[in-house]
Amino acid sequence: MHRRKFLKETTLAGSALIASSILPFNSLYAAVKDDTKNISILHTNDVHSRLEPFPMDGSRNAGLGGVAARAALIKDIRQKTENVLLLDAGDIFQGTPYFNLYKGEPEIKAMSLMGYDAATMGNHDFDAGLENFANQLIHANFPIVVCNYDFNNTPMEGKYLPYTIVKKGKLKIGILGVGIEGKGLIPADLFGNTIYNNPIECANNAANKLKKEGCDLIICLSHLGDKYNDDKISDEILAKETYDIDLIIGGHTHKFFKEPRKYNNRKNKITLVNQVGWAGIQLGRLDYTFSKIKNKNLANSETVVIGGKSSE
Amino acid sequence: MFKQIFATYFLAILLFACSTPKQNISIQFKDYRIQQSDKKDSTLTAMLKPYSDNIHQSMNTVIGFSTKGLSKKQPESELGNFLADCMKIMAEEKFSQKVDAAFLNYGGIRSYLPKGDITTGNIYELMPFDNLVVLQQVSGKTLNQFLNKIAERGGWPVSGVKMQIKDKQAVNIFINNKPLEESATYTIANNDYIARGGDDCDMLKEIPVNNKGYLFRDAIIAFIKQLTKQGKPIEWKIENRITY
Repeated sequence: MHRRKFLKETTLAGSALIASSILPFNSLYAAVKDDTKNISILHTNDVHSRLEPFPMDGSRNAGLGGVAARAALIKDIRQKTENVLLLDAGDIFQGTPYFNLYKGEPEIKAMSLMGYDAATMGNHDFDAGLENFANQLIHANFPIVVCNYDFNNTPMEGKYLPYTIVKKGKLKIGILGVGIEGKGLIPADLFGNTIYNNPIECANNAANKLKKEGCDLIICLSHLGDKYNDDKISDEILAKETYDIDLIIGGHTHKFFKEPRKYNNRKNKITLVNQVGWAGIQLGRLDYTFSKIKNKNLANSETVVIGGKSSE
Repeated sequence: MFKQIFATYFLAILLFACSTPKQNISIQFKDYRIQQSDKKDSTLTAMLKPYSDNIHQSMNTVIGFSTKGLSKKQPESELGNFLADCMKIMAEEKFSQKVDAAFLNYGGIRSYLPKGDITTGNIYELMPFDNLVVLQQVSGKTLNQFLNKIAERGGWPVSGVKMQIKDKQAVNIFINNKPLEESATYTIANNDYIARGGDDCDMLKEIPVNNKGYLFRDAIIAFIKQLTKQGKPIEWKIENRITY
């Protein structure tokens, strides 16, 4: 508790200190109070057909996860929070007998009932074939976003979007998706006629379009993996090479991040990357607060403050 | 309630950009751990029920019968021979081609087959990984290197192979009852984990893989169902495929 209190105070003091170093604190405070917009982003990745909690067999993850508990938590957050966005970074499929028997139908139905706003595709989402994935989308009331897979002449043609725009309150949120290279990972007969394009180029193009559309926040759902020892394209590389993406919701590498990672992007601004392990054991949450600073005499500026949430 | 993991870091950055409007963004984050004790949403529970009822029923479905309990052992075991033969026979069926030899990494077998009725759930416990059955065309030289690795690791389940382990090396190797020829080409079946170089099998890593997305677990279930249909129990023997 003491540590939490300390952190809260440090956060406030730190913000004030930095703010006061360029502008009078009072004017910033007034501006913040003047026009504030909030969005809470909830996210999952690599749920891998874990519809029920892990069985109570004494293993490490026993009792964790499950869509019924996740849905109740999301409902609870929605009741307390104005603008909520719910996203998934792929590998919805594969990993429990549910997938072997039903090929993804209950997974997609559960996501629709929970009110997901968008998801991208992971390599395991090809596991029962592209035609199966496309067919299961009959049960989806949310779009699949992926901008670097060209699905022309595949069963997915016309059943996905490179990116989408979601309006929450006064905010316009751009959401794009990127998928991992299939070669060596996805069996060629499952990948089919899918063409894999460079995720960085495609993501930058999509993000640029979203920026021009006037999005307040641009989120990339990524199944590239957080980072690798070699030069394989990852969220880390994408974060450093992007111009307009503010946040990358990652997956594939099943990492439980202790905190979102921050990178300086091509515009020398901050791009965040976050990932919440796998199997629906955790639900991630990022709360963004936007405040326009209206004093015209000030230089154009953007402040990004990231801190752990200290209370519900 | 939901256990919350509170993050423990903070930073503040001030940046200047000429083209963007003046804006202050603050971000806070939090992770919720989904626990057994958490409240459940009744809509989701109701949606899931017909599927979960069926899943639990399927896992309890009896697919075959074992006359005695089969467990794994090195260098050779009844369970290992059963699974390696299953790999070879089902690979030949799935890929419609002759397979010279089939293998399994010893560590990939996670459980045992009990005596009596065998359920689908038993097979999920035995083979929880989503490993795929794959084929590779290898030279006799590469196959020898692979068998040396198997010898070094104390002997793995094999089918179509007879060999001895001497000083952690494979010797007196026979493939389909014929001595191994270094210059010959062999078609071998493995799970994709091993074919991609897992368990230090680097000699296989660069060799192209024929993959039909066929889960080894599905192959085992189909194989046992075939046996049952023919009125045969699961009954496998030690044949001195690998000896010291």
